[in-house]
Amino acid sequence: MTTESDARDELIDLAADFYDQFAAGNIPEMTLPTRTKSNIQYDEESGVWTYGDRTSTRSANSVRGARKLLKAAYTIEFLANQLDDDRSSTLRELYYLSESWDNNEAQFSSQDESNDLVEDLEIVTGVTREDFHMRPEESGAKVMGPLEIREQTNRGDREIHCQLDVGQGGYQIPNNPDTIEFLDNDAEFVLCVETGGMRDRLVENGFDEEHDALVVHLGGQPARATRRLTKRFRDELDLPVVVFTDGDPWSYRIYGSVAYGSIKSAHLSKYLATPEARFIGIQPEDIVEYDLPSDPLSDSDINALESELEDPRFQTDYWEEQIELQLDIGKKSEQQSLASRGLDFVTDTYLPERLGEMGVL
Amino acid sequence: MTSFQSTIGDEEGIAEELAEGQREISIAEFFEKNKHMLGFDSGARGLVTAVKEAVDNALDATEEAGVLPDIYIEIEELGDYYRLVIEDNGPGITKEQLPKVFGKLLYGSRFHKREQNRGQQGIGISAAVLYSQLTSGQPAKITSRPKGQSRAQYFELIIDTDTNEPEIQADEETTWDRPHGTRIELEMEANMRARQQLHDYVKHTAVVNPHARLELREPGLDEPLKFERATDELPAETEEIRPHPHGVELGALIKMLEATESYSVSGFLQEEFTRVGKKTADGVIDNFRDVYYGRELSWSPPRAHDDRDVASAVADAVANKGAAATTAFADGVAETVGNNDRVTRSAVAEIVDNTAETVEDETGKTFGGTVRENAVDAAWRAVTGLGGDEDADSGEGGDGADDADASPLVSDAYALVDEATSTRKDDEAVQAMAEALARRFEDLDGDAFRVTRDDLERLVADAAGFVAEQHDATFGETARENVVEAFWSRARTVPDDPPKVKAIGGDRDAAADLLEAMRTTDILAPPTGCLAPITAELVEAGLRKEYDADFYAAATRDADVHGGDPFIVEAGIAYGGEIPAEGSVELLRFANRVPLVYQRGACATTDVIKQIGWRNYGLDQPGGSGMPNGPAVISIHVASTNVPFTSESKDALANVPEIEDEIELAVREAARELKSYLSKRRSMQQRREKQDVLGRILPEMADKVSEVTGRPRPDIDGALARIMNNVSVEREVNGETVTLVVENHSDVNEQLEITDIVSTEPTDLSDGTVVDMDGEWFVQWKPDVPSGDERELTYAVDGDPEFEVSVGGVETEKLTVNA
Repeated sequence: MTTESDARDELIDLAADFYDQFAAGNIPEMTLPTRTKSNIQYDEESGVWTYGDRTSTRSANSVRGARKLLKAAYTIEFLANQLDDDRSSTLRELYYLSESWDNNEAQFSSQDESNDLVEDLEIVTGVTREDFHMRPEESGAKVMGPLEIREQTNRGDREIHCQLDVGQGGYQIPNNPDTIEFLDNDAEFVLCVETGGMRDRLVENGFDEEHDALVVHLGGQPARATRRLTKRFRDELDLPVVVFTDGDPWSYRIYGSVAYGSIKSAHLSKYLATPEARFIGIQPEDIVEYDLPSDPLSDSDINALESELEDPRFQTDYWEEQIELQLDIGKKSEQQSLASRGLDFVTDTYLPERLGEMGVL
Repeated sequence: MTSFQSTIGDEEGIAEELAEGQREISIAEFFEKNKHMLGFDSGARGLVTAVKEAVDNALDATEEAGVLPDIYIEIEELGDYYRLVIEDNGPGITKEQLPKVFGKLLYGSRFHKREQNRGQQGIGISAAVLYSQLTSGQPAKITSRPKGQSRAQYFELIIDTDTNEPEIQADEETTWDRPHGTRIELEMEANMRARQQLHDYVKHTAVVNPHARLELREPGLDEPLKFERATDELPAETEEIRPHPHGVELGALIKMLEATESYSVSGFLQEEFTRVGKKTADGVIDNFRDVYYGRELSWSPPRAHDDRDVASAVADAVANKGAAATTAFADGVAETVGNNDRVTRSAVAEIVDNTAETVEDETGKTFGGTVRENAVDAAWRAVTGLGGDEDADSGEGGDGADDADASPLVSDAYALVDEATSTRKDDEAVQAMAEALARRFEDLDGDAFRVTRDDLERLVADAAGFVAEQHDATFGETARENVVEAFWSRARTVPDDPPKVKAIGGDRDAAADLLEAMRTTDILAPPTGCLAPITAELVEAGLRKEYDADFYAAATRDADVHGGDPFIVEAGIAYGGEIPAEGSVELLRFANRVPLVYQRGACATTDVIKQIGWRNYGLDQPGGSGMPNGPAVISIHVASTNVPFTSESKDALANVPEIEDEIELAVREAARELKSYLSKRRSMQQRREKQDVLGRILPEMADKVSEVTGRPRPDIDGALARIMNNVSVEREVNGETVTLVVENHSDVNEQLEITDIVSTEPTDLSDGTVVDMDGEWFVQWKPDVPSGDERELTYAVDGDPEFEVSVGGVETEKLTVNA
């Protein structure tokens, strides 16, 4: 990826584009790929989903567009200064910081707006947010497993073994996982787990030790750092990656963003997505097979499933079969519903069986 | 009320009748009883009415004399009394005219004059004179100076309330500074509580008479209210038209019949009415015959198998004409009669006459009147099977007698009744009906079966009643109508000449018949030359003059007709500016150029405005109906030879559908312009707002961008002009060459007017003109710049001159000037 000075140059270049547009008597504008489900396409080469050819233009032609570009100019200045000073800030800090700008028109009206703008800047400059030194509020994601790493921190480099040197909670993934260097590992595979409760169950049952698994906690929709680190496990350590989530449409999207990339950050798919990642479950078929306790699908679940059928990322035989089955049975189950067969069922029976089927164990 | 300088017509009309009816009581008492109707029911209103009458009079007088009205109104407080002075610049008034105009109450009404006239409105200035005299005891003081006379004449006039006769009490020469005109001074018991109405009246008069100059002084005003004229154009002169046959009433018709010099009805109709020629008059007369005489029912002539024989009957009736002539005559009549499906007695008479003449020519025998009459009688008896000796029998047998079987009328009637009624009527009922009808027809006066439609209806109803009673068979209303129609349509209009005009005039029933005949005849709508619309242009000018608004629109409709009277509706709208935005819009109502001040809620104009959906036109209208709100004035003018009012006080237009429709169309026409103005204004406003915001944001963005890049601030005017789809004018000075670059970023072609004022003499102009104005040079171009295109305007200039450019031809919102 880019270096910090590259990042700063890219930002200044964008400002210079605006400047040149003004000077030529043209209306300043910024062109971006359209960020919708219909404009993502499969990239054969990398096996991930990226933006298609359709673009939208943010133009100063309208009051709305002009405000957006004014905010962009102010944000560019802020980010450039931040890089100069080698500081970093969170997305939320950016939102509040805009309050201090001298121009009311440039202030953000919501954090969504500032988040979107930072994403716009990433896309236009080709520089990741992390290289702008922008980080999300908290990542929350943790790793537990037989892996030794070196992390560059503000307080110097730290060498950490992710099983031996950490507590029950595991190793906290930093905002920019590219500051991590892998030293040594005995891991056989990577297991990404959606919920904290299930992660804790696996750790308590010693699943990581027993199977040499790197247990990665996703914590809902995974942060970029988590996805980036997962990709590095796959690419640099050559580990198989499996994803373990609830058995409902929202969880399939979590899998989708790990494996294929998310719609909002499709510009970074090549950097974040792990197309080799495979889905363990809970599969709709498991709900039937293991007779798991379930809830009926709600209307919004059904809509989400139907929308996934149209999502290019899910247009594979496997997913079409699973989603149609789920629509058929009209049920969904959580990861923890496996506890209905006992606390050890997941580690002793379910996961080994599924991993065996998938050829990982 | 007529204007006082004009000649008073002979016709006195209903007003005269009114006064006549009151002869028994004194005129003062009459006035007292009718003052609500005359507009003097309170002191407050009395003053407004007096002003109104006097001003209307003054306007008519000046206009008729072809003078632009210049009218002065003064109200002065004199203790318990008020003195009202009205001056005009009309042609003045002579002593002879004076009593007629000011003196006699209700004299010379123009109620039935077919001409658009203010006078239709009020009861008259004389009522104001009487009111002033009754309340203050003072005479009316009148000063008049006819044109060209060096001195004016002063009169005092009082009305003898016992005789309703005016008396001139003073008559002396005096001086007056007006070169010509009339001044009337009235003292009256009154108050100024209706000040608002008074002001409205005067202001609205000014709006609707943009050619008039008005001035009002009254005690409540520090400064006189002055209304200047907006045009020097007098309203078009109206021509009086004769009444339209559809527009007269019985009383008026009788008066016309009495007064006309025509002898025949046809002549009378053609002379006295508009749109009546020979053909229309004949149509009216035919209808009149049907109403007045009735039609003759027609019957089938005897056929070969019938016993009745026209030829032998006629032959028997002719004596001493020789066998050959008799046979030729009888056969001729019989043959012609037999050739008709149905004949009436008049038709038979005509046939007899024609045949007689033919036979006379052929044989040299004379068939005199008596012979012919006998022949007609005989032939008619043969056709109808009635008459002569049998008279005694028929009609006396009473209903139910079977002697009617013999009558050929029954079988004829049977055929018609059967045809006219539904198939479900059984034969017996139809037969009974036919017999009952035949008996009743036989009882008609004379033997020609003359019956008016009304009588025919009665007769059929009576027969139906009898049949229902005796035979238990119902002939409902529809069936009866069909039967009536079957007989009526086969009956023939009689050939009789209509009575002479004098006879009809002396016979109220006959006159009513004539009126009905006139109304039922289709007649062309009246001509509209008798109307003087204000014209859309002047409606707008009037509004423009009295309301400081942002927008004005007006519309004049084509003439239409209600009853027999032509009318024209005009509407105007003023919007924005100084017009108060709170509350509902102001509605100005005018009839024949006179403002209507009272009873707004009862007026057809108000009803129409309320039912229009004003939201469509950009005005606020709570609930989607009712009076719209907003800074607007709507004016409606109805001009007609007979404006229909709801009541005698003539304050509100009646709900006549034709007039309401035209009012709506006129108002909508003007409102459509308002709508497009408002929507354009809204889009200009949005453009302004956008310009404001972008004009703030973009420079800030440019500043920030130059700060970040470390470059000098870029020029953003080009970008701004482009964003706003604007026209930009930019100056480039390159040595001695000055270039104005005009870029049109809008989506329409622009025609600009660019003036550059230069402090040094410019040379080498590209097109354009240059004018030296006292050491400043005005360089002017009028370039056409197509959408998306640009023009360069150049000239050369020495030294370091000052420039000042102004750009016209394009809205300022669309203009970006950097020069």
